[in-house]
Amino acid sequence: MTQVATGGHHVDSGTLLLQASNVTMRFGGLTAVNDVSLNVHAGEIFGLIGPNGAGKTTFFNCLTGLYKPTSGEVRFAGEVLPPQPRLVVRAGMARTFQNIRLFHNMTAIENVMVGMYGRTKTNAIDAIFRLPRHRREELASTERARELLDFVGLVGASDMLSRNLPYGDQRRLEIARALATDPKLLLLDEPTAGMNPQETRQAEELIFKIRDLGLAVLVIEHDMRFIFNLCDRVACLVRGAVLVEGPGNVVQNDPRVIEAYIGTPPEELPEAGPAPEQPAANPGEGNADA
Amino acid sequence: MRAIISDETKVRLRYPARAVGILGAVLMIASIMMPWAYGHEALDDMGFYGAPSPLQVFFVILPVIVLLLLAAPLVGKPRLGKFARALAWNTSAKTASIAATATVAVALIDIAIELEGLVNVEVGGWLALVGGIVAIAATLFLPDSPEPTLDRMKSPNWLQILAIVVLMGMLLFTAAFALSLDKAGQFLMFAAFLVGVVLVLRQVGVFAWLGLAAANNNRVLVLSAFIVAFAFPFTQNGSDANMSIASQVLIFAAAALGLNIVVGLVGLLDLGYIAFLGAGAFTAAVLSDSAFATVNFKPPFIITVLIAGVVSSLLGLLIGAPTLRVSGDYLAIVTLAFGEIFRITMNNLDGTDGPNLTNGPNGIPGIPDLNIFGYDLGAVHDILGIEIGRFANYYWLMLIVIAVIIVVFMNLNYSRIGRGWVAIREDELAAEAMGVNAFALKLLAFAGGAFLAGVAGSVKAHMDTSVTPDQYVFLESAFLLAAVVLGGMGTVMGVLIGATILKLLPEKLRFFSDYRLLVFGLLMVFMMRFRPEGIIADERRQLEFHAEDEELAEELEEELITHHGHLNPERKGFDL
Amino acid sequence: MDLLDLFLQQLINGLSLGSLYALIAVGYTVVYGIVQLINFAHGEIFMIGAFGAYATWMLMGQPTDWNAPMSILVLLPVLIIGGVAASVTVALLTERYAYRPLRNAPRLAPLISAIGVSVFLQEAVRLFYGEIPGFPTAKSAIPFPSIPGISGSAFQFGGVTVQMTAVFTVGALAVCTVFLWFFVNRTKTGRAMIATSQDPDTARLMGINVDKVIMAAFAVGAALAAIAGVAHGLRYSNIDFRMGFLAGLKAFTAAVLGGIGNINGAVVGGLVLGVVEAMATTFIPGQFGSAAWKDVWAFVLLILVLVFRPQGLLGAKVVDRA
Repeated sequence: MTQVATGGHHVDSGTLLLQASNVTMRFGGLTAVNDVSLNVHAGEIFGLIGPNGAGKTTFFNCLTGLYKPTSGEVRFAGEVLPPQPRLVVRAGMARTFQNIRLFHNMTAIENVMVGMYGRTKTNAIDAIFRLPRHRREELASTERARELLDFVGLVGASDMLSRNLPYGDQRRLEIARALATDPKLLLLDEPTAGMNPQETRQAEELIFKIRDLGLAVLVIEHDMRFIFNLCDRVACLVRGAVLVEGPGNVVQNDPRVIEAYIGTPPEELPEAGPAPEQPAANPGEGNADA
Repeated sequence: MRAIISDETKVRLRYPARAVGILGAVLMIASIMMPWAYGHEALDDMGFYGAPSPLQVFFVILPVIVLLLLAAPLVGKPRLGKFARALAWNTSAKTASIAATATVAVALIDIAIELEGLVNVEVGGWLALVGGIVAIAATLFLPDSPEPTLDRMKSPNWLQILAIVVLMGMLLFTAAFALSLDKAGQFLMFAAFLVGVVLVLRQVGVFAWLGLAAANNNRVLVLSAFIVAFAFPFTQNGSDANMSIASQVLIFAAAALGLNIVVGLVGLLDLGYIAFLGAGAFTAAVLSDSAFATVNFKPPFIITVLIAGVVSSLLGLLIGAPTLRVSGDYLAIVTLAFGEIFRITMNNLDGTDGPNLTNGPNGIPGIPDLNIFGYDLGAVHDILGIEIGRFANYYWLMLIVIAVIIVVFMNLNYSRIGRGWVAIREDELAAEAMGVNAFALKLLAFAGGAFLAGVAGSVKAHMDTSVTPDQYVFLESAFLLAAVVLGGMGTVMGVLIGATILKLLPEKLRFFSDYRLLVFGLLMVFMMRFRPEGIIADERRQLEFHAEDEELAEELEEELITHHGHLNPERKGFDL
Repeated sequence: MDLLDLFLQQLINGLSLGSLYALIAVGYTVVYGIVQLINFAHGEIFMIGAFGAYATWMLMGQPTDWNAPMSILVLLPVLIIGGVAASVTVALLTERYAYRPLRNAPRLAPLISAIGVSVFLQEAVRLFYGEIPGFPTAKSAIPFPSIPGISGSAFQFGGVTVQMTAVFTVGALAVCTVFLWFFVNRTKTGRAMIATSQDPDTARLMGINVDKVIMAAFAVGAALAAIAGVAHGLRYSNIDFRMGFLAGLKAFTAAVLGGIGNINGAVVGGLVLGVVEAMATTFIPGQFGSAAWKDVWAFVLLILVLVFRPQGLLGAKVVDRA
């Protein structure tokens, strides 16, 4: 599939990274996710929108191994993903949570270092006898964790308990923790929920920065303006099924999408419309390589 | 009290209050030169004029502290210099007065009981009590001091090291003295005194400062602690009675530390932990030279220790592997059931209900003493002119075992593994989603804890000379858990203190031993309700137990960074 | 005795033992279903029930010469009421002072508190029961009063001997199950219990007094445990301060076996466990079939269930993970 650059973004036609085919998830009689197929390519930002209860988070949980899909298959870089969160992480897919799930009583840097757990190899013997591998990895992890905290903009917060961080910083810390797992694809579950406009803009910049590192990003959002600004491609999920999928400007003008959002104030949609034409909202970052 | 006496009154009356308080302190100090009791049987004989008994001499430390705290500010703020604001002078004086009075009260009650009637309390005793009450009353009229800031003051490194060494020396001295007290009343009075001193030092701010000094000089602390512990048998003048208690305490503490890995670090409740100690003990017993040993394989003890550890950890894997995947609540009960399986099995492997391995309820008696590299632990050795008895030898061996356990505990805690454990405890699902293999880490803790218990058990078998199934019942597991909970989950120091208290009190307070389980059951309920983090709190545990307390979170954040330097991998753990 | 008779005999024995387990297991399961707490002290509540019944008998002046109908129709119900009163009181006090303050604490806290309660109750009975004027010391087993017509009576049924105590235990379970079903499904409190177990927060928003519901759960469990305590006393004709430990552990096994949180499951689990135990001592050949191993087989069953069917035979309340 060739990528069409939207909103002025240039995206390489990257290799196929995540391939979800016919994923269905049923809870008893309820079908939360119905036959969803999605492809995410290396280096792209893919948006998943949909009204509340559309099954976005459930779909996320299917992708990341929290749920085992009732049927269908999830492939990552060609391999079928085992339905176990930690193996999904090892394969190169990391996530954040809609309701922040940091380790609240650990410091920011410790949170990030937990993210590195799967990428380090120090075992009990190394740790007990303080063997070279322990020292080496401990120093390297600390170093890398600081870099990541700087990267997401949490300079100077490394020794703060994560529960004492302001809300927006907690979201960023969660992203840093996910990045610490060294993923190829980052899944963000409503990264701007509860944020003010300024924080939202910062989050947007951060996601572009992450994309520029060469990572693919799959993001769930309610905020339409945010998502159409950000994403190369967007899929709209309604009642567990994909309604529309395509470049942002196509999806956003699709009457079915507008219909699906009935119940949200009608002025919100037109407002979201011109967003891609307002690059001023995100100075430079996203369009740097245009 | 704060509400009854207004702040203005306190400021207005501060000089007269100080004077009255000093009078109270002087009365208490003077009292030790007078007899407290009419008769010589109570406590350690307080019936003389001009010749204070050892307990009275200890006691007088508290009023002297009151005197110093009240008198020193009279020289004026400038002369006190930076100390003027660093110590909580007034509040500490109040605490010290209360502690002194409480100690007197314990003493007087004991005199009244032992000599049958308050009539037998002599003039000195009453004087001390009156002095104490006067001091308390007076200090209530002093303005409250701000929080002590001693730990914020810069102090030279030599002073910190000196303080640690002096502290350790004092610890040795008090431990020796406490163990030499063989009457319940003496012990209680001394305990009251000790608790008082600890509270006062904490109030003054000395403990916070010492904590910092200890963090800065970790090696000095650890080294001096071990030297002191090692030197302890030399204070016993060849008597082995107290060493028997001390070595039992160490076995108990070793097992409690192993349990602390599982409960304190990973947050799993293991209610059958004593079975792992038992498995180690039985393994060592059947491999020993005892005439009743059932296995015809007699490896040297070094090998036996390892086999015992491995057997225990295999049992740990056997019980952990199926249950660690399900909810932690189930684990508690399954481990409890496992403890029962172990006990019943050891009872049944007697040749009639099963193959003969353990001789059933009779167990394996006659386990010979250890001989390690030619050092016979059963014999009395003469070292530096002091007789070192059998239990002292085992005490030393257990000290080595405990040192190993502490190193394992600390080094695992401050590593990738330890971070994984905390993450699991905080949010297992999120930990898994970050790539942490929760099952493997829990299993590691379970098997590792079992291994350490097995090692301790193998020494216990030789020290006790016999192993029977009824030593390893559920109540013992509950008792170990109580030590961990009382001392402080996740801490080494706390669990050592918890284990000492729980083992020592019933030994020293015989009248209490029948009630010990009742009290410890109640203690667990109260601890969970009022101080779930235990006597010595692990900062993170404290935060978890007080999830809504924002102030505490701010406060402890600072502690985590300044006192511990958590993030510097060189600072934590022990190099081997 | 041929093999079929032996089988039937052990089936009867197993069912009566299992009924005892089931009566206790309901208490674990009801409480767990609502507050997700393993009430570790529940075994002690069962023991308190037995001692409460004994105390009632003492307070009645130790009647020994009542005839069978009077004993069964008057004495036994009074003993049961006494036992129920004692266990419900203790259970409610425990809930109020040991568990309720810890409702928002980490899960470890109430569990440890429960162990403390358990040890405390055992020791309190051991140390203080005999201090009540006229009461025997509880430091060793106390002979339980016999009920003429039940204690020691039996009848033959083909080649099978049926003890009247077994009939009483099974009957008590049957009656209690019916009452319990009625209580849960047909009363306001019972429906509030179901609502609370499914979603405590929403239940609270709907105006349900969650504290009351939790107390009701503890009370129901305690009442059934007390009846089990009386049945235990009649069956073994003595009671002991330690009896709650093993019985509680077995009952918990039964609750897990049936699916913890599921009331029917507790009943089924109890019966299955009782039968398995009875059969194991008869049909496992060799040394490991001796009575000394029966508890081991029960616990092995617990572990096997957790490995292969952690949701239990009838399915546990599913707790959503995400």
